[in-house]
Amino acid sequence: MGPYILSGLVLGSISAVSVLGLVLTYSSSRVFNFAHGAMAYFIAVLYWWLTDDQGWSVWPAAIVSVLVVAPLLGLFLWAIVFRRLTHATPVVRFVSTVGLWVAIPALARIIFPIISAGSDVQTRGLGGTPPGQFDVLGVTVNWNQATVIIGAAAVAVGFTILMRFTPLGLMTRAAVDSPRVAAIAGINPSAITAISWMLGTMLAGLAGVLLSPLLGISEIQFTLLLVVSLAAAVLGRMTSIPLAFGGAMAIGMIQGLSEKWESANLGFVEFSLDGFKPSVPFVLMLIALLAYQGLRREQFEVDLRAGPTEEEVAPAARLTGWKAAIGPIAVALVLLSVPIWLNDFWIGVVSQGVALGVLFLTFTVVTGEGGMVSLAQVSLAGIGAFTAAKLATDAEWPVWLALLAGGAVAVPIGLLLAGLTLRLGGLYLALGTLAFSQLLRFTVFGRDDFDNFGSGVAIDRPEFLGIDFSISGGRDNFYYLLVIVFMVAALVVVNLRRSTTGLVLTAMRSSEQAAATTGISILRSKLIAFGTSAFIAGLGGGLFAVSFGRATNVSFEVLVGIVWLAIVVTWGVRSVLGALMAGILYVVVSPPTDKLSFIFVIIVVFAMMGETARLIGSKAIYTARGALLGVGVLAVGITAIVLLLPVEIELSEKAKEVPTLLFGLGAVFLARQPRGVLFDVMNRIRLRQLQRERQLADGATAEAAT
Amino acid sequence: MSAPLLTAEEIVVRFGGVVALDGVDFTADARAITGLVGPNGAGKTTLFGILSGLLRPRAGRVSFDGTDITRASPQRRSRLGIARTFQRLELFGEMTVREHLVVAHRVRMRRDRSLLRDLVGLGSRPTLDEDETIAGILELVGLDAVAEQPVILLPLGTGRIVEIARALATAPRIVLLDEPTSGLDVHETEQVASALRAARDDRGVAFVVVEHDVELVLELCEAITVLDFGRVIARGTPSEIRASTDVQTAYLGTRAAEDVAP
Ligand SMILES: Nc1ncnc2c1ncn2[C@@H]1O[C@H](COP(=O)(O)OP(=O)(O)OP(=O)(O)O)[C@@H](O)[C@H]1O
Ligand SMILES: [Mg+2]
Repeated sequence: MGPYILSGLVLGSISAVSVLGLVLTYSSSRVFNFAHGAMAYFIAVLYWWLTDDQGWSVWPAAIVSVLVVAPLLGLFLWAIVFRRLTHATPVVRFVSTVGLWVAIPALARIIFPIISAGSDVQTRGLGGTPPGQFDVLGVTVNWNQATVIIGAAAVAVGFTILMRFTPLGLMTRAAVDSPRVAAIAGINPSAITAISWMLGTMLAGLAGVLLSPLLGISEIQFTLLLVVSLAAAVLGRMTSIPLAFGGAMAIGMIQGLSEKWESANLGFVEFSLDGFKPSVPFVLMLIALLAYQGLRREQFEVDLRAGPTEEEVAPAARLTGWKAAIGPIAVALVLLSVPIWLNDFWIGVVSQGVALGVLFLTFTVVTGEGGMVSLAQVSLAGIGAFTAAKLATDAEWPVWLALLAGGAVAVPIGLLLAGLTLRLGGLYLALGTLAFSQLLRFTVFGRDDFDNFGSGVAIDRPEFLGIDFSISGGRDNFYYLLVIVFMVAALVVVNLRRSTTGLVLTAMRSSEQAAATTGISILRSKLIAFGTSAFIAGLGGGLFAVSFGRATNVSFEVLVGIVWLAIVVTWGVRSVLGALMAGILYVVVSPPTDKLSFIFVIIVVFAMMGETARLIGSKAIYTARGALLGVGVLAVGITAIVLLLPVEIELSEKAKEVPTLLFGLGAVFLARQPRGVLFDVMNRIRLRQLQRERQLADGATAEAAT
Repeated sequence: MSAPLLTAEEIVVRFGGVVALDGVDFTADARAITGLVGPNGAGKTTLFGILSGLLRPRAGRVSFDGTDITRASPQRRSRLGIARTFQRLELFGEMTVREHLVVAHRVRMRRDRSLLRDLVGLGSRPTLDEDETIAGILELVGLDAVAEQPVILLPLGTGRIVEIARALATAPRIVLLDEPTSGLDVHETEQVASALRAARDDRGVAFVVVEHDVELVLELCEAITVLDFGRVIARGTPSEIRASTDVQTAYLGTRAAEDVAP
């Protein structure tokens, strides 16, 4: 028992230190930092570089990393990203910190060349190498473990003193309770948030330095650190520091003790606890979310001083008649011509991208139209994929019917989940759906009959209407089928947007209060968006599996889903074309990274195309000029791809990190420019046009007067 | 005289330590324009929150046309015929003026309940009745000229009028207006006042008006309630309010002094 309690205490202490930073930064700026674990990773890598590569001894290295570099990193990130996020929309806030989560580790590996993506290294601990040992109550404790526990206790005491007795603590608490009052009282909230981000990064860094000698530096460990911190923050209702601290300890203890009972034999049933340990944070998080929801007595009460939930963009007049058809027809022609200018291998890749594009439309509906950040879409896609694969392969249904069934099965599950978590709203919705997805992954997708030791469930390509879509029938047939499915799905999404339901969703995104008092049922509207998006996710998941030949657990990991969402938002979550671009980009960039040296070019080109997509989606370029610009960018992009696809240059280790870094920075860029560069360019063009018209009109009246 | 249309009794609202409303009684009659005045922070906006269902009171009751609606959702109240505007504009930022009215009208007509028709692309056609109703409201409030403009390109004053028009498009029996003329010029203020009178006379809509422009309230309203620090300090006809010493000291007094000073 003793060793397990010790291990739980140590785990708990590390995440308790980490969660303090998370809660502090959230309280002062309302930005929930998904990059918290990544910051810890950065500081831990720095510490390792100093001790291992530069030959520093452990204490100076720890002090410089945690007390000097970490606050500077926090200040820097606050200045370029977090500062701008407080007033950004929830989606932008979320995606920007996710972008940092992806970019920071890549940056660390570029700066400190001693570590590569998959590596797992053990650092020297503060307790000496090898650490000394002593006995407490018959349990052997080494000094690394002891440092962690002492460190956490010191942080807890120091933090309490800081919050209770220093002006800084008072100001932070005042700013948390009411930013407006704090501003009136002459406290500068921006100085407070800056300091809180410096402190928060220090705590993340400390957690990283304490963790690395015990569990090693690997991205997986630091993601787990983030996950436990998220759960503990939820237990603390995001702002209660003692509750969050205790929550982290509790999670650590439960996880530590669960190691004792790796598998339990209850006499008649024996069941494995393999999936239990990683699920602990999520189970607790889900329970806490539901319990807190029950505590909320008011079903619908809003702070009447709250602002709009969405950034507001001036829509330009829509094109009508033949002009409206130019954009979609151009895209269709480009897509249908792909088999002419690409070889078989690339047609296969683009096919997967188009299938993923269908899947990504789920974000266009739930996030773009519904204004919600859901992290369950990837699991709904997984449900669709596995359902389709099981029905088609085991039950021998026709593949197309199995695919539709996959979509249909996802709907009730999506609705149930939404019903449970929707009232929580905003960030809690994101965390609730995250917990759901993780649990599903551990309890269902991980089972042998789905996972099948990593190889998943096979699913063939469909054959119907007498056409053979299998590989032997040629890749082109299947590709055309996917393009047609995408077109139909995109049309449905566009119809939805333009319909009464679309208007209702737009109203709700701008102002829930005004929508509610206009008679719109908020819950019902959100359920409609969620249900529709669940069907698209299920169908798209199935198609994606078909394009691979099998449905596998790893294609539908939660982290993959988070990256998907970030890509879609970066390229344009309000636009069906954005979803397609994001899908193609994802498959082009992700699997054979070391082969493709022109990735850089592709990312730039796709960024341009993505901006165009965003423009078309935002109704802002329904002018002849805008459409022309869009077509032009598209043409340049395609030419670049055709010319560059055959080029293959070996990538150096460092260069391999560049795409990841760029992707992360792309998402971070949202914080600075939520509407994108081209949008601003277009707006400027429009404004100039308006001015010119006005001048002409003035001139005319002046003439008339003389 | 018939029973009042909208009634609130002994309403108590607290925000943390602040008592925003402390046992407030309020009534508004059908087909009448009722004034609600009081200094900054008196609790006027909070009372609107209670009447429209966005806030729930600690204690007290709200009833509409004889039915208790204390626990009814904002949606249900809208359906019953209560609409409102907001002091800090709450427009639908991505829509045109017309779309504001279209969405309000369709929700009222329950045209937001046909998902399948919407998905196949039949859910965006206006009906004849819709076009007529909306044209009528646009003309009434004088927004015809800007109907197709996106609202975020409009000046603040016009935005306030759009909120009034959106409220009218839900076919309400009573509309709560939170400072409808702040930020409007003299001409626009006159336009709003005449639109309110016309809506009341032609459509039988009642209004509750929160206003800092006391002269306007005295001229426009049949009955006035005065709030101060979360309590009702006076209620009556414009002439009674003008005469009340309580009101003069709490509210009008300072104004009157300012008016006299130059
Ligand atoms: N959501 C809230 N949370 C905390 N306090 C609030 C909230 N809403 C209002 N208050 C407080 O309640 C009191 C009444 O505010 P309310 O907005 O109703 O006044 P008002 O009469 O509308 O004032 P004004 O003329 O400035 O609009 C004020 O002290 C205000 O600060
Ligand atoms: Mg007010």
